[in-house]
Amino acid sequence: MEAKHTLEYTPTELMIVISAREIEDGDLVFAGVGNPTLGALLARMTHAPSSLIATESGCIGPSPKRIMLGIGDNAGLENCIALGSLWRLFSDQQRGFVDIGMVGGAQIDRFGNLNSTAIFGEGDYFTPAARLPGSGGANDIANCAKRTVISIPLERRRFLEKVDYITSPGFLTGDDARRQAGLPGGGPAAVITDKCIFRFHPETKEMMLVSVHPGTTVEDVQKEVPWKLLLADEVTVTPPPTAEEVAMIRALDEDGIYTGTGLKTLTFDRYIEMLERSLAQFSE
Amino acid sequence: MPEIRGNAAQCMDGKKKTDKRMTLHDAVAAYVHDGGSIVFSGMGGAQCVAHAYEIIRQKKKDLTLIGDSPCDAGDMLMGAGVLKRAELAWCGYAVAGLGPNYRRIVEKKIPHEMELIDYSNYTIGLRLMAGAMGLPFLPTRSLLGSDLMTYNKDIKEMADPYTGETVALVPAVHPDVALIHCSRADITGNAQIFGFTANAENAARAAKHCIITCEEIVDTDVIRQHPHATCIPGYAVDAVVHLPFACHPWNFPYDYAYDIPFHGEQTRAFKTREGFLAWLDEWCFGTKDHEAYLDKVGRKRLQKLKDIEQKFCPKHW
Repeated sequence: MEAKHTLEYTPTELMIVISAREIEDGDLVFAGVGNPTLGALLARMTHAPSSLIATESGCIGPSPKRIMLGIGDNAGLENCIALGSLWRLFSDQQRGFVDIGMVGGAQIDRFGNLNSTAIFGEGDYFTPAARLPGSGGANDIANCAKRTVISIPLERRRFLEKVDYITSPGFLTGDDARRQAGLPGGGPAAVITDKCIFRFHPETKEMMLVSVHPGTTVEDVQKEVPWKLLLADEVTVTPPPTAEEVAMIRALDEDGIYTGTGLKTLTFDRYIEMLERSLAQFSE
Repeated sequence: MPEIRGNAAQCMDGKKKTDKRMTLHDAVAAYVHDGGSIVFSGMGGAQCVAHAYEIIRQKKKDLTLIGDSPCDAGDMLMGAGVLKRAELAWCGYAVAGLGPNYRRIVEKKIPHEMELIDYSNYTIGLRLMAGAMGLPFLPTRSLLGSDLMTYNKDIKEMADPYTGETVALVPAVHPDVALIHCSRADITGNAQIFGFTANAENAARAAKHCIITCEEIVDTDVIRQHPHATCIPGYAVDAVVHLPFACHPWNFPYDYAYDIPFHGEQTRAFKTREGFLAWLDEWCFGTKDHEAYLDKVGRKRLQKLKDIEQKFCPKHW
């Protein structure tokens, strides 16, 4: 069937589709909760049916009939192939079994180093302007997954020459720095934003603009980035989602828990009804 | 000769009993002492919520929390002024929001200053594993290259003496008390978890004392029917507490679904200091124990969470 591209999609839906495209069939995927999980589920429904999702609590390969509401949500156990421990799964990653890790952060620099620990502002690490949740498993994934895919909105306050704190190493200072520091994983393969996609220069490991989303120009991207952008030989336009992909995302998150504002208005009765509806829909 | 750390022999008094049943109140009163250290089971779900409320009810002080990614048991203890120190990978409410008390204590030192040491989920897991193995530290390839090493002086970097490769070292930890929630246990504390275990099995063994709480207490003969599910044997356990719905509003695998609308209300209330204190008055100090908390949540609501879970992930044992 010829895939039909659609113009009716949101920036969030496009980011989910792009992250799904980074997953190859057979991949073991370490996915955090929210849009990365939606991307991983979408990949399973399309081009990567034998990819496996792993969550930090120790669930491997679930095929849930409802939205996953946490990395230890019961949805992560549904029809899974293995159930174990955090230390075992992360040891499997350190051993080299995790193909792709989905990570995010509040700040990023030109070598893909991420901060999800604290925004210092006028203060410092000990008394920051904003304390963020912290590494969780992100540092472990960044160091040891074979490759990582970063999702972050393209905003000037997030793209910085130097992040306040490196929670999740990218390529550190570039070139060979990552290997010299003893990090076994391959580092970031892509940075997915709401406006464009970056990859990294094969030698210098500097962030490199490879494609802009429909309606965005290279100049629009440069405005949000404080350093002079490195451009790929050919900067392409990101292929938009197909109508089928958008329909699948909307089925996976019918109530807009992640892709909309559904959580804010979710009452208990509507929540139970949402779960019943999801069970019926995915049992067909 | 330096003393060999990490030997469990000196904390065996309670572990040799055959009937270790206690109420949550008595177990917390007996084992959680001001100035001591604690660790909870759970990860992104299956969180120890009833346990956190009871520690707050008993107005414990100056505790050190060792945690991978505690949610309510991190954020609420911080807001209630229970913690003097936390060694953590993460704290918040995930999909339901950031941890408002965590932000206030770090950014504004409200209600007081707390020492905070950052780790990652795996390296907290390795610290508990080293503790559970009776070894002083474990090496890892996590942390290298990051600022966790810059600010946390307990993380060491060294060359592997065999190959010269760079590794990071994290120290073993022996919390005074582990509070671990399980699917079921017998009265001796042979504890089974049918869902994911995260770091529970190592937290239980690393700690000096272990309080098992469970959805169900069963005969030892029932435990013997599924021995592969026993992740914590009774010889590592000091107390057994029957504590159904201990994780509410969180989910517990094969038992009940996540009550995320309740969590939404809770985190909205926590946004202001006043809102948090009012919540504690109503849901913690206003209820004499966990059963009273469950009555207040509503038994019909809890039953719906149980019923819906049985449609998705029924008990298979």
